Amino acid sequence: MSATTSGLRSRVEVARLPRDLHPLAWYAWAIGLAAAASSTTNPLVLGLLLAVASLVVVARRSDQPWAASFRLYLWLALLVVVLRVVFRIVFGGTYPGTVLLDLPEVPLPDWVLGVTLLGAVTREGLLGGVYDGLRLATIIVCIGAANALANPKRLLRSVPPALHEVGTALVVAVTVLPQLADSVRRVRAAQQLRAGEQRRVRGLRRVLVPVLEDALERSLALAAGMDARGYGRAPGQTRRERWTTGAFLLLGLGGICVGVYGVLDRTAPRVLAAPVLVLGLVAAVAGLTTAGRRVRRSRYRPDRWRWPELAVLGSGVVVAAVGVWASREQLTIAYPDLTGVPEISLALLVGVLVGAVPALVAPEPVSRTRAVAA
Amino acid sequence: MSTTGAVRVSRRSALVLAVASLAGLMMLCWPLLLQAPGEARVDPPFLFVALLPVVVAVVLAELTEGGLDARVLAMLGVLSAVQAVLRAVSAGTAGVELVFFMLVLAGRVFGPGFGFVLGCTSLFASALMTAGVGPWLPFQMMCSAWLGMGAGLLPRRVRGRWEIAMLAAYGVVAAYLFGALMNLSSWPFLLGVQVPGHEGSLAFVPGAPLLDNLSTFLVYTLVTSTGSFDTVRAVTNLVAIVLLGPAVLTTLRRAARRATVVGTVRSADDAQEPVRA
Repeated sequence: MSATTSGLRSRVEVARLPRDLHPLAWYAWAIGLAAAASSTTNPLVLGLLLAVASLVVVARRSDQPWAASFRLYLWLALLVVVLRVVFRIVFGGTYPGTVLLDLPEVPLPDWVLGVTLLGAVTREGLLGGVYDGLRLATIIVCIGAANALANPKRLLRSVPPALHEVGTALVVAVTVLPQLADSVRRVRAAQQLRAGEQRRVRGLRRVLVPVLEDALERSLALAAGMDARGYGRAPGQTRRERWTTGAFLLLGLGGICVGVYGVLDRTAPRVLAAPVLVLGLVAAVAGLTTAGRRVRRSRYRPDRWRWPELAVLGSGVVVAAVGVWASREQLTIAYPDLTGVPEISLALLVGVLVGAVPALVAPEPVSRTRAVAA
Repeated sequence: MSTTGAVRVSRRSALVLAVASLAGLMMLCWPLLLQAPGEARVDPPFLFVALLPVVVAVVLAELTEGGLDARVLAMLGVLSAVQAVLRAVSAGTAGVELVFFMLVLAGRVFGPGFGFVLGCTSLFASALMTAGVGPWLPFQMMCSAWLGMGAGLLPRRVRGRWEIAMLAAYGVVAAYLFGALMNLSSWPFLLGVQVPGHEGSLAFVPGAPLLDNLSTFLVYTLVTSTGSFDTVRAVTNLVAIVLLGPAVLTTLRRAARRATVVGTVRSADDAQEPVRA
């Protein structure tokens, strides 16, 4: 009994040793947060989501280059809000409400469809712009958080088997990059030793073509290496398996098409919207699974789903569920009136704060502890 | 190599591609298609951002279903890396994207299937490396995949100067089309959805006749980007294809010949060009 308890405890602790969390767990968490953000325009909820995402990034990001990209996403989010408000002011037209700034209206000539620029700026108009912009900005920041937290190389390793070839091509792309930089440096050095035109366009051609030749040459060498190691020597699928795969894929796409149409045309029968869409998705996933069966591969140190991964995933699911629930049940809180002060409900507050759980349960990234030890 | 391309597109794949393109187009053009009765609240369907990656994944799975040749795969990876570098180099200057010129040339040389896959992989790879992963990525991937595929579908017989002229013209058209489609996907998000009682201009009016929304959108895209970003991008494409096109085409063709040789051994006098790699 005690042996199993200690065994369990050690397994719990081992899962929290410094390591990279499964990248898909981070993406699932971020998509959950983004889904919650997409179903509200309440600035309090959105601000909370932004804070939660930023907190987790600060707590759990590594010192790898991709972790530094989060700042860019924050700037981009700010740009989106500003752009949205500026568009509102410039093309906003009249919006009923308290006038803050009475700008003159500038009618454009007829050939631009009678568009009027500027006009009275109202508080409601501005607030509407900020709320809507904030929603898009929050979605961007959530995805940016996943981008900063998840290791892209490991992400590429966990593509579904059906996309094995495409995933491998992407791995090749990522690994070839440093060699390309090296190749550019060599070609530049060689060109500088020569006479000839150094003008921009000619110069570009004199660098691009040798670099391209070099890269393509290298790709053939790489392919020869892969061939020699037996890449792609898998038995193909039987006729029947191929037929099933194709049927599932086509059925799935067809379902998605009809479902999208159902979502867009609100006058169509509702059976065509969500149910068909879900059916199409299921068929598409089934098709991807059967298509992936032809790929037999072994993995070196596979990323496993342990309890921190599940906790991170679960927190994302909880946030998304609460957000979607609030957009159905608490309409006035999810989409606050522009004339009053927005409020937040306890359920939403707690639900969104669950999104911060990864800051506690996710294991520390590897690199930071190494730096401390060194 | 010129008839089939590096990534074979079977009849079934073509069908999958067509249905997927229809789905993608619907998700891109939803503001023009939306039919909403009366006063219902209309929110942009964020659902599509999650749905489009599935569609792209299905097409990629179908195209690579028979397995990719190792040489084609390596070529795909290396060209994606080159694209990522070109994008990183040209990203700082607004709208000057050198990505498309390479995509057009590669699609031309390696065929429509390869162009489609390269459009997806190159944007995905460059997004991973330059902080470009975001809600816009699936739309960008779909549009650039169409762009690469379209380049592969251009008439094969045209060669020499006319080929460069044709590709340059295609590059210009593609630049404007890409800009318009990306604008269409972001238009309701950036300008908002018109609510009843609000008389704005240039915003998307849910449920309005197709032509009304279309003309509003055209004005929006003309005002915001056609004059600036898209034109710069189109000129970049034109200049790059005219100046660098012939040299890059030759390089790519040489590589393609070596990458897509399929060894059918018959007799000694019937031997194909030897594969050096």
